[in-house]
Amino acid sequence: MRKTLLLFLLTVLVLTSHNLLAQVRNITGKVVGSDGSVLPGVTVVVKGGGQGTSTDSEGSYSLSVPANVNTLVYSFIGYDSKEVAIGGQSTINVTLAANTTGLDEVVVVGYGTQLRRELTGSVATISGADVAQRPVQSFEQAMQGKAPGVNITTPNGVLNNPPVVRIRGVNSISLSSSPLYVIDGIPTYSGDNSATNAPNNPLSNINPNDIESIEILKDAAAAAIYGSRAAGGVILVTTKRGKKGQSKVSLDSWAGWTKPFRLYDVLGAEDYMMIKNEAVRNLNANRVAVGAVGNNVEGFRPSYDADGGLVDTKWYDYIYRTGFSTSNSVNFSGGTEKTSFYASVGYTNQKGMLENNDFKRTSARVNVDHKVYKTFTVGARIGYSNNYNSAPNSGSLSGSAFGTAGLGRLPLVLPPNIPAYNADGSPATNGAGVGAGANVNPAAPASALAPGYYNPVVDLNYNYFTSESNQIQGSVYANWEVLKGLNVRTTYGIDNIGFEDKLFYTALAGDGFSTGGNATNYYRTNKRWSWQNTAQYDRSFGDHSVSLLVGGEQQQTDIQRWGAQRTQIADDFFNTYQGNFTNIAAAGNSQGFNYLVSYFGRLSYDFSKKYLLSFNARRDGYSAWGNEKWGNFYGGGLGYIVSEENFWKNSGLENAVSFLKFTGSYGEVGNSQGVGDFTTLSTYGSGLYGVNATLGYNNAGNRDLTWETSKKLDVGFSFGLLQDKLQGDFSYYRNTIDGLILAVPLSPSKGVPNNSIDANIGSMRNQGIEFNLKANIFQKQDFSWVVSGNFTTQRNEVLGLVTEGQRIGTATSGLETVNYTRVGGSVGEILAVPSLGVNPANGQRMVSILNADGTSRTTVQYNHLGGGWTTLDGQAARTPNQLTDGEYYGPVIPTWYGGIDNSLRFKQFDLNFFIQYSGGNYIYNGTKAGLHDQRFWNNNVDILDRWTPENTGGTWPRVVYGDNVSNGSALVISENVEKGDFARLRNVTLGYSLNPTLSSRVGIANARVYVQVQNAALITKYSGIDPEISTNGASNTGAGVDRNSVGQARTYTVGFNIGF
Amino acid sequence: MKILTKNTVTVALSALLLGAGVTSCDTDKLDPIPETSFSDQVVFNTPARIALQVNNLYAYVKSGSFLGGRYQIYSDVRADDFINRTSNAVTALQVWNHTLTETSSNDVISVWGAAYSAINQINVFLAGLEANTAKYVAPAFSADFATTTAVQYQAEARFLRALSYYSLLQLYARPYADGNGDKPGLPLRLQAETGAGGNDLARSTVAEVYTQILADLDFAEQNLPLTYASAVLNTTRAHRNTAIALKTRVYLTMGQYANVVTAANKIVPAAAPFTASSGVANTLNSSIVTVFASPQETTESILSFPFTAQNTPGTQNQLGFYYLPTSNPGGPTGGGEFYLNAEGIIANTTALSATDVRRTSFVITSGGNSYLAKYSGGTPYIDKAPVIRYPEVMLSLSEALFRTNGPTDARALALLNAVRTRSKGTAYDTFASTDDAVNAVLLERRIEFLGEGIRNIDIQRLNASIPGKGSIGAVAPSNPNYVWPIPATELQTNTLITRN
Repeated sequence: MRKTLLLFLLTVLVLTSHNLLAQVRNITGKVVGSDGSVLPGVTVVVKGGGQGTSTDSEGSYSLSVPANVNTLVYSFIGYDSKEVAIGGQSTINVTLAANTTGLDEVVVVGYGTQLRRELTGSVATISGADVAQRPVQSFEQAMQGKAPGVNITTPNGVLNNPPVVRIRGVNSISLSSSPLYVIDGIPTYSGDNSATNAPNNPLSNINPNDIESIEILKDAAAAAIYGSRAAGGVILVTTKRGKKGQSKVSLDSWAGWTKPFRLYDVLGAEDYMMIKNEAVRNLNANRVAVGAVGNNVEGFRPSYDADGGLVDTKWYDYIYRTGFSTSNSVNFSGGTEKTSFYASVGYTNQKGMLENNDFKRTSARVNVDHKVYKTFTVGARIGYSNNYNSAPNSGSLSGSAFGTAGLGRLPLVLPPNIPAYNADGSPATNGAGVGAGANVNPAAPASALAPGYYNPVVDLNYNYFTSESNQIQGSVYANWEVLKGLNVRTTYGIDNIGFEDKLFYTALAGDGFSTGGNATNYYRTNKRWSWQNTAQYDRSFGDHSVSLLVGGEQQQTDIQRWGAQRTQIADDFFNTYQGNFTNIAAAGNSQGFNYLVSYFGRLSYDFSKKYLLSFNARRDGYSAWGNEKWGNFYGGGLGYIVSEENFWKNSGLENAVSFLKFTGSYGEVGNSQGVGDFTTLSTYGSGLYGVNATLGYNNAGNRDLTWETSKKLDVGFSFGLLQDKLQGDFSYYRNTIDGLILAVPLSPSKGVPNNSIDANIGSMRNQGIEFNLKANIFQKQDFSWVVSGNFTTQRNEVLGLVTEGQRIGTATSGLETVNYTRVGGSVGEILAVPSLGVNPANGQRMVSILNADGTSRTTVQYNHLGGGWTTLDGQAARTPNQLTDGEYYGPVIPTWYGGIDNSLRFKQFDLNFFIQYSGGNYIYNGTKAGLHDQRFWNNNVDILDRWTPENTGGTWPRVVYGDNVSNGSALVISENVEKGDFARLRNVTLGYSLNPTLSSRVGIANARVYVQVQNAALITKYSGIDPEISTNGASNTGAGVDRNSVGQARTYTVGFNIGF
Repeated sequence: MKILTKNTVTVALSALLLGAGVTSCDTDKLDPIPETSFSDQVVFNTPARIALQVNNLYAYVKSGSFLGGRYQIYSDVRADDFINRTSNAVTALQVWNHTLTETSSNDVISVWGAAYSAINQINVFLAGLEANTAKYVAPAFSADFATTTAVQYQAEARFLRALSYYSLLQLYARPYADGNGDKPGLPLRLQAETGAGGNDLARSTVAEVYTQILADLDFAEQNLPLTYASAVLNTTRAHRNTAIALKTRVYLTMGQYANVVTAANKIVPAAAPFTASSGVANTLNSSIVTVFASPQETTESILSFPFTAQNTPGTQNQLGFYYLPTSNPGGPTGGGEFYLNAEGIIANTTALSATDVRRTSFVITSGGNSYLAKYSGGTPYIDKAPVIRYPEVMLSLSEALFRTNGPTDARALALLNAVRTRSKGTAYDTFASTDDAVNAVLLERRIEFLGEGIRNIDIQRLNASIPGKGSIGAVAPSNPNYVWPIPATELQTNTLITRN
């Protein structure tokens, strides 16, 4: 690094000493924008290469040029470049026009770049600035609402939990619907890679400040170059590079405070005891009414602390906190004629709203490009990162919704009339569970209440769950311009991560109680190499421009994990794996290997910059498949830029419509993301029978399994109106996925492992429109206002499953099945028995069941242990059944969504507020079911409006102790199905930039301070904690379930950035 | 010219580079072999691998969801000797309070799934053993492998299949006594299933399933080894006496008392000491405490399923975890999922006296409730899960003798008293009627096998009501909840299946 700096300084010296040379002219001048503001940092170069400089903070420049130079080129990001003939001038002042359309921006596409103007495919771009300085862990969390066609959901508020990213809908059922992430050309890992309660998303290893731009490839014309991995779209991340002639040092820092938001109101101790004892009285009445003994005890009794005060525990206080976070990044960059570089280091330490939930990242990056000879360039992109994640058992990760330790759930169910700590300061426990306080189990004969849930302070004070990773992700390349326009390039990349995951459970209580304490360590390595070789030929002759790319790529991925679990702690002193325990058993071992070999090509052609054509193709061979390892994929696009036609320009239409392009594309891409490495093999696995080893049939393989195919159609247009003050694009898309891999269910009585066998059998379609608009409403020197927004609709329809009439259930954490996928519906719709509210006559929950004729319905009501299900006239009725009586509520994925971004600038102040919105979906609010359960669980305060003889209009049924049916815990009812529409003020930022004159006086190029609120406000009718919650994580068919997860936090940050 | 040459060279070089990069791919890598699992083509290649497969059959039957714990627990908690403490649907709440549905996952769906997984492992093994006979030749295999070892393995497999079907019948089908087995039983899967197709199979009748069970047990009895080399194998793998013992249970369940007598006579002598005269010397141990003390390998245990710290029953499956209290100063603790019903068998101080070892050693109190401490190992809960003990054969024989010969049968009385008195129970003198005698045996079984999964069998084989407890009412045989529902997962995939 020091060498590079030295080289750089030398180069600067050489450049500035040019004035000493003879036969040169000195040109000076000033560059301003069309609004008259000075433009610092504008690149001024001699046309044809050679000398260059950039403007200073006053917009002034001075450049010595040889006598034979005729033209200077002025360029600046966000402005149209301008060429000026020197002639005899020695002072050249230039005004650059703001390029509001971005039409001439360079867009990164697979294995290359293109001008946005010339694209025929659908590519959305998010600039690095949009994701930098946000209080997030990984960049894709900050992409919410920023791009049309890209739906991102934050499933919960646990730090570094991977967001659910869906590009143009859910594109698979049993494979992954997540996009392929490619960092500087090398595909990387995504999703939670941790084996513990602390999630670890490898994408958080990238410092968002290092990102130059993010491109999202959505349709076949754009994505087919990634062939079999493109079905869910492709996200290309490009990190920053040094720019020729610009030497910059930049410091970015922020600090933030994170708090919980919209927590439920639960009953305090007195109300809790009142409701539960009333429920016991009602139970006794029910028992007596059916001729049984009503001898249950009103066992919910006050506990008192040492001072005689009533114990009224606010469990939230032990679980949530205000977390303080900081982030600091330094980067420096620069470039000479031969070498450019970008280097950065970053450190962030974030504390979430949950106790013990921490995220730390230390990252470093070096990106270098060096011209060895005129036609030969080499370079490297190397990032190293260490991240450390720690989380309590939040009960919010996929699969953990019903844990008795989950911190999302505990403050909702735990009785408030028991203390968290005993008088001696130890946590109040009884066996594994929380202590009962003075509460008595109402069941006769009386004994202490047995809340099976855990005391959260045990988990928070003693247990830990961590995941730490070290990643090296990078590549080196060599590019040789063999002939003019012909570049051959070889790139070799590696992406290696090691994950060290640790967990510890105390023997005192909680999950470690039954094992006598438990320490488990896992180590996982993800190793990947990728070697890409391409040849690209670009040529223009006359009105024809051709660009041809051919290439090959190999990628090998090796994943191993091993670990062991130690149980029965020797002494409470120990809390690490290395401590002494009586037992040890292997845990979490796994091994995977896959290999992808590919050939690909792209032809782009345009005639006169008006008629555009592109064609991509790729042939992939993938090791995971059986008999058919190879697949061919392609995508083609056509474009027509009407506004380039002379008739358009001559007709005066150009004044109103300065740019208009029509595009259309079609292609077939594949999906292999998420398929098991060895899933097509029929295998036997080895286990144990007591002390003896075993060998048994453990996988029913299907050797015919192969790629899912996604047929993508896209038609649209983009436009610029009123000198591009208003510009946007519109497209209609349709993805039809054939050969969906589905686990064909086998009768459990067949006893085949997993009761299923995978086959390419289903089909599904996603379609919708995308609309993107950006308006420069006002653009003056002191004041500007830019509004941009996007809107997407999305309709998913399952076209075919294994058999006609099949419905695929997706269980939440293996216990409750709410989501069902069926032909004609959208994936994972909610199947719930229609609830008809509370019978005002008796306070019983009424639901509607299907009669034997299969069409008409009967209303039945439920009286817990007092007659059960009866018709309204009191006749015994059958028990309602979700599968028979349920109706579908769907879709569970938003049918419309988008974002609105407002940027205002007034003098040195800037204000940005960003609204994200989404809707059209249903949510199963299972948390609400739990919050009205009439076991010993605590309830939401709205239970006070239960039915009583005095309050016959109550919204909740008459409380009966032990009743878990009327509230929906034991039967999925429509009472707990809600609409998920919302608008969220995702981010508000107010900044102040130092006046350039002032800043140059103190020797800095630019300085800005800002304050920011993330998740500032939420408008929704959804009664749960957060309408974005996804308890089933990224499950394709299990979306829209809210079961005991923690919501999103609100974060306040202050920060600054300074550039030198 | 020079430039042209240079260009030609560069083009050639670059083409070479590109070509090398693209074509050097290693096609072997497209067919990777997993490092931790075997191809199905090689698992019958050596006698050692086949032996491992036999162990695997036992491992499946002893799944924590099946006979490794939950099956025994469910059979007990349905009745009235236990009270649910934790109201946890994951740990048998709905089995206890009779609110199971077709979609109840931890019981209705998982027991069915675990049992049929075991049955298919057995069927796949039997088919593979048959299909690979050509491999059973020297030097890899011993000369008598095909004629002796393989046949023994078949016998073990068929024994386990019989045990699995028998256990399933007790939960998912009406008792044999209800119509002499003419009610719907189970889909009788006897073919190896390894792929798609064949989902549909109707339920055979209860009687037909019993016929298959008895056929398997007959084969097992004829071909199982007489003994194994160690106590642990004699208690954890099936030998001839194991098949005979299970037969006595099957016949008793079918109400075929004469057959019970015939079968039991093969391993129970006419008079004390009650020790099997051939095969493993299964016997009534002098102390029931010893039988349940680690490692539970006395000759009284005819079959139990073993666990180790590396091979645990799995979370929330362990017998000890369900029945031990959460607080037990100086002793082992568990999850306290169920405590003993104060109005259940422990209320009967006549049959289970204050000094009875089965009370003094196996009943402990904690927090005002009584708990069963038969499985006292504590964490990691690796007490063996009992399947059948010698006293069960004795009591089955006793009951069958009373029923066939009347209340005065001396041998029946001796058998009953032998079991009773070894735990300091007061011996019975005489019985006034067959009913009294039989009821005494039934009561003794309830005491002796408390927590071992026998109770439900004893209630249902007589088509008697399941007694109520606390707020939970009794379940009459006419009640649909008397037997478990057929799981929704089966109903959705097997079009020929019928509901209970």
